Amino acid sequence: MKFSKSFALSIVCAAILAGCGGDDGKNGTNGVDGSNGADGANGSNGVSVFVTTSDVVNTNAQHAYAVYSDSLIAAKALKEQLEVFVAAPTDENFTRAKEAWLDARESYGESEVYRFREGPIDNLTKDAQGNWVLEPEAGPEGAINAWPLAEAFIDYTIDMDGLQNPESVSSLPVGGNIIADSETYPVINKSVIQAAFGGVNDAQDEANVTSGYHAIEFLLWGQDLNEDGTYTANRDYSAGYRKASDYYTTANDFEGKVGTCTSGEAGAENEQCIRRGQYLVAAADLLIDDLQAVTNTWAPGSGFHYNEFTKVENAKVSLAKILEGMGRLSYGELAGERMSIALRTDSQEDEHSCFSDNTHRDIFLNAKGIQNSFSGQYTRDTGEVLQGASIYDLLVVEGHPELANKLRAAIELTMAKAAVIDTNAKMGTSFDLQIQLADYKPAVTETIEALKAQTDVINEAITALEVTTSDLKQDTDEFGG
Amino acid sequence: MKKQILALVIISGVLVSACGGGSNSSGNSTDNNNNTDSSSGGGSVILPGQPKDGLPAISAQTPDLNEYLSGGEASTNVFNEDAFSQSAPTIRSDFELDGVFKTGDHLFRGIHKGQGPLFNNATCQGCHIKDGRGEVPANTSMAMTSMFLRVSDDKGMPDTIYGDQIQTFGTVEGHEQGALPKHNGALNEGLAYGEAYAFVEYEIINGQFDDGESYQLRKPIYKVKDLSYGDFNDAVRFSPRVSPSVFGAGLLGAIPEEYITSYADEDDVDNDGISGRAVYVDEPISNENKLARFGYKAVTASVLQQISGAYRGDMGITNFVAQEEPCTDLQAACINKAKQEQDNEEGNLDLSKLSLAQVEFYNRLLAVPERRGFNKQSNSWDTDVLAGRTLFHENKCVSCHVPRHKTGEAQGSLLGDAGLLDIADTSTPIAALSEQVIYPYTDLLLHDMGGQCTEITREDNEGKACISGAQCYWVQKCEGLADDRPEGSATGSEWKTPALWGLGLVQTVNPNATFLHDGRARTITEAILWHDGEAKTAKQNFVALSKNERSQLLAFLESL
Repeated sequence: MKFSKSFALSIVCAAILAGCGGDDGKNGTNGVDGSNGADGANGSNGVSVFVTTSDVVNTNAQHAYAVYSDSLIAAKALKEQLEVFVAAPTDENFTRAKEAWLDARESYGESEVYRFREGPIDNLTKDAQGNWVLEPEAGPEGAINAWPLAEAFIDYTIDMDGLQNPESVSSLPVGGNIIADSETYPVINKSVIQAAFGGVNDAQDEANVTSGYHAIEFLLWGQDLNEDGTYTANRDYSAGYRKASDYYTTANDFEGKVGTCTSGEAGAENEQCIRRGQYLVAAADLLIDDLQAVTNTWAPGSGFHYNEFTKVENAKVSLAKILEGMGRLSYGELAGERMSIALRTDSQEDEHSCFSDNTHRDIFLNAKGIQNSFSGQYTRDTGEVLQGASIYDLLVVEGHPELANKLRAAIELTMAKAAVIDTNAKMGTSFDLQIQLADYKPAVTETIEALKAQTDVINEAITALEVTTSDLKQDTDEFGG
Repeated sequence: MKKQILALVIISGVLVSACGGGSNSSGNSTDNNNNTDSSSGGGSVILPGQPKDGLPAISAQTPDLNEYLSGGEASTNVFNEDAFSQSAPTIRSDFELDGVFKTGDHLFRGIHKGQGPLFNNATCQGCHIKDGRGEVPANTSMAMTSMFLRVSDDKGMPDTIYGDQIQTFGTVEGHEQGALPKHNGALNEGLAYGEAYAFVEYEIINGQFDDGESYQLRKPIYKVKDLSYGDFNDAVRFSPRVSPSVFGAGLLGAIPEEYITSYADEDDVDNDGISGRAVYVDEPISNENKLARFGYKAVTASVLQQISGAYRGDMGITNFVAQEEPCTDLQAACINKAKQEQDNEEGNLDLSKLSLAQVEFYNRLLAVPERRGFNKQSNSWDTDVLAGRTLFHENKCVSCHVPRHKTGEAQGSLLGDAGLLDIADTSTPIAALSEQVIYPYTDLLLHDMGGQCTEITREDNEGKACISGAQCYWVQKCEGLADDRPEGSATGSEWKTPALWGLGLVQTVNPNATFLHDGRARTITEAILWHDGEAKTAKQNFVALSKNERSQLLAFLESL
C-alpha cells in the first residue's frame, strides 16, 4: 500500500516539475523563504539545482555500464596474460599475470555498489526459453566473486602442520581435488568448473567456491603461508607464494625443464601442471562470460535492465535501489562481513583477497564505489572522468542541503579512513597483519565505525527523499523481468 | 452468524463421513479452547483447538487470502537452491539488521578456532546444508557428516563415557579433516579420536495402497563400530538424527505459548485418538521454565538454546550458554586435547557472545519460502494444490500438522542486541517476526508415533551374535518410527510434529536430502506411510485414497 502512495507521490512531483519548468520553488539553500527561494535558486558553488530523480537514476545506470565494461575489459586482458603465462611460465610472465589480476580487481571493486539491489549481478539468469531475466538470487555474483574459496577442492593445500592436505571433511570428493582427480574430472573446462561450483554432489554451499576471481587468485598466488611453510596464525609479511614451476609442462618447456612439474614443494606428474593451466584459463573464460552477460544488460539502449531501470515511471523505485545498494554494501557487506569478522576472529580465512594480500584494495574500492554512486562520478580505467547527476544535487534540489553536505562529509570520512588501511598495506603491512597488530587495528576499527556512521546518514537520505522500504519490497513483480 | 453456523455444520459433516464420527480437534469456532463439553459428565473440560488469536477458523476448502505467504512478511520469493538461505525481506532495508544477519551468515558458514576435540562437522552449514536438511551417507563406507546418533541408557540418561551423542570426528595431529574413530584408539594411544562409527543398512518393506498400487519402504538398521573410548553402557539406546532445516525457526519461536498449548490434548478429552503433549524445559539465562518447541523430541525452548547446544555438541565450540567441552569425565584423551586448545574468547570460550548472538539472529531471521502453485496476478491456486489441501484437512493431517499460527511479539535476544563489533545491553523485540500470520503446518507438540525396538544386540558383520572385539558391532532394530530412547520429557516413541513449510523445496536445496528424522523416507509419500500411533488413522486415510487423490495431496505438500 505504501508503495502505491509514494508512487503516486512521485508522479505528482513529476507533474509539478514539468509544470514549473523543472523547478518547484523549494530549491534554494534557504528554502522557500530564502532570498531566491520563491523562484527557485540557481544553486550556489557550482551545484546544479536542475537535477531530477530520473537524472540521478540515468547517471547511475550509465556508470553501471562503464564500471562493468571496465571490469570486462580488464578480465579479458587478464585472460590473455594467463594464456601467455601458461604457454611460457617464466617468472616474468608469472609476475605479469599477477599484475593483470590485481588490475582486474580495481574496477570490479568499484562495481560492487551495484549489488544488494536486485540488479543483474545478483539476479541475472536465463529462463526456460533461454531469455535473460532477473530472478531473485539467481545471478552470477557468487560464481564471480564468492569467498572464502574452497581451495582444497581446486588444488593441493598445506595444513597447519605444513602437511599437504585437503582441508574440509565434508566437502571433498573422494578422489581429492579437481586438478588431481582426473578420473572424476577427465576434462577441465569452463562448464566443468561451473558445474563444480557449489559442490561435488550439488549439496554443498558457497563453501565450495571453485570459480571467479578468487579461484584465479589462488592458482596464481597459492595459500598465504607463513615463513615456516605452515598455515597458522603466525603470519609473515608476504602474500601467497606459488612457484611458477607449478605450471611447467613438457609442452611449454622453455629452459630445458622438462619433467619438473611441481605441486608446491612436491614434484608432480606433467599432467598436473597441464590441468592446473587449463583450470586457470578456463576460470578466466567463465569470469568473462559472466561479466559480459552483466555488462550487456546495462548497455544504454540495448540492455534490458538499463531500459527498465531508467524508465521515468520507475525513477523512484530505481533511486530506492541505488540507496539500498549503498547502505547494504556499507554496513552488512563491507563493515560487517568483510571487515568486522576478519578483525574479531583474526582469521585469514575471513579475509577477502587472502592469497594475494589485496584485501586493502577491496575495502578501499568498495567504499569508493559508494562514493561514486553518491557523487554521480566514475573515473574509467582509461582515466576518462564521467560526471553526471548526483544524489548530492538531488538532496539539495529536494530542499535538504544540509543533509547533502552531511552525507558528503560522512562518505569522505570513510574514504579517508579506508585510505589509511590502503596506505598501510602499500607500505608493507597487509590487511591480515593489520587485524593482528595493535598499532594498525585502530584504522580498521575506525573505518568500520565510519561506514556505520555513513549508513545512518544514508538512512536519513532515504527518509528525506521519500523512498520507503516498501518501494523495494513490492517492486519485485514489476521488476522481475 | 448464520453463515458461520452453517459452515460449521458442513465441516462437521465432512469429518463425520471421513472419520466415522470422531470429533474434530480444530477448525471449529474461533474460541473453542474455551468450549466446554458438558456431556462428558461432571466438571467442565477444555477442548483443544484454535486459540483466541483473532483469526477466523481456517477453511478446509478456501485458503486464506494471504496463505501463500507461509512466513507472513518473513517470506521469500526465492525458489532455487538458495530458497532456505534468504533473510526476511523486511530487514534488508534496515541496514544494521541486514549487517548482523550477514555476519551471522558468514559465521554459520565458516570454521571456528577451538573446534573439537570431538565434533560431527566443522561448520553449521556442513550439517544444515544450505540452511536445509543434512543427508544420509550414500554408502556404509562414508562417515556420517550431517547426521549423527544420539546415545543414552534406557532411561535417556547420557552414556557415562559417550555423553548424549556420538561425535564421529576427533582431533588428532596429522588428521586435519578430523580423526575417524578407531577401536579402543583413545584408550590405547591417548589420542582424541572420533567416538564411534555409525552406519545404516536398509531392509526393504513391501506394501500396497488400497487401490493395489505397491510401494516400498526402507526400514533402517543402525550399526555402530570402532568405539574409541570403550564399550557403551549395558542398556544403551540410539536415536539417529539427520540435521533438520533451520529457516523459519524465529517465527516458530515467536508463537505465544498459550496459542500452542490450546491445541494440546494430553488425555485426549475430545476422543479423537490424538493427544498432543506440551512439555517444558528451563531456558538458559532467563532460567524460566518454558514450552519446549525445538528439537526432534521437543527438548529446547529457544533458538538460542538450540544453537548453543549444537555449537558445543556438534562442533565442539564452547560458548556462553554451553560452556563445557564435549568430553565426559571418562574421556581422558578428549580432556587432554581440550586443554591444548586456545580458548580465545572471553570466559575461556571458543565462541564470543557477540558471534553467538549474530548466529542466533541469523537463524531467527531466515525467511520461509512462499507457496508455489499460487498465481499472485489472478489470485488463484492450482486446482490440484487446492484439492490436495482439502484432502489434507479432511484426512485429519491437520490434527497435528496445524496449518496456521500467529506470532506474538518476538522477543529480542537474551544475549542483548548484536551489532558488528559489540553487543548492547538492550534487547529489542524483532518487528520482522512479530504479529505475523504464518503457515508452518505443525502444532509443535509431542505425539506418540508408534513402533517399538528390540534391545540393542551385539553382532558381527555376518549377523552372528558376539560379545566383544573390534568386529563386534552394536545393532539397533526397530519397528516403525520408535527409537526406544526417552529424551527430555519425550518417550521412546514420541516425536514433535515437524513443520512442513518448505517441504517441496527440500530436494531443490539439497538433492541428496531425504525425509523424516533419520532420513529413511526417500519421498514425501514414504514419509507419510511411516506414520503410525496417533497418526495411524490419518495414514490409513492416505492409503485408502485413489491414485488421483494421492497425487493431489502430494501436489499440495510439494507446494508448501
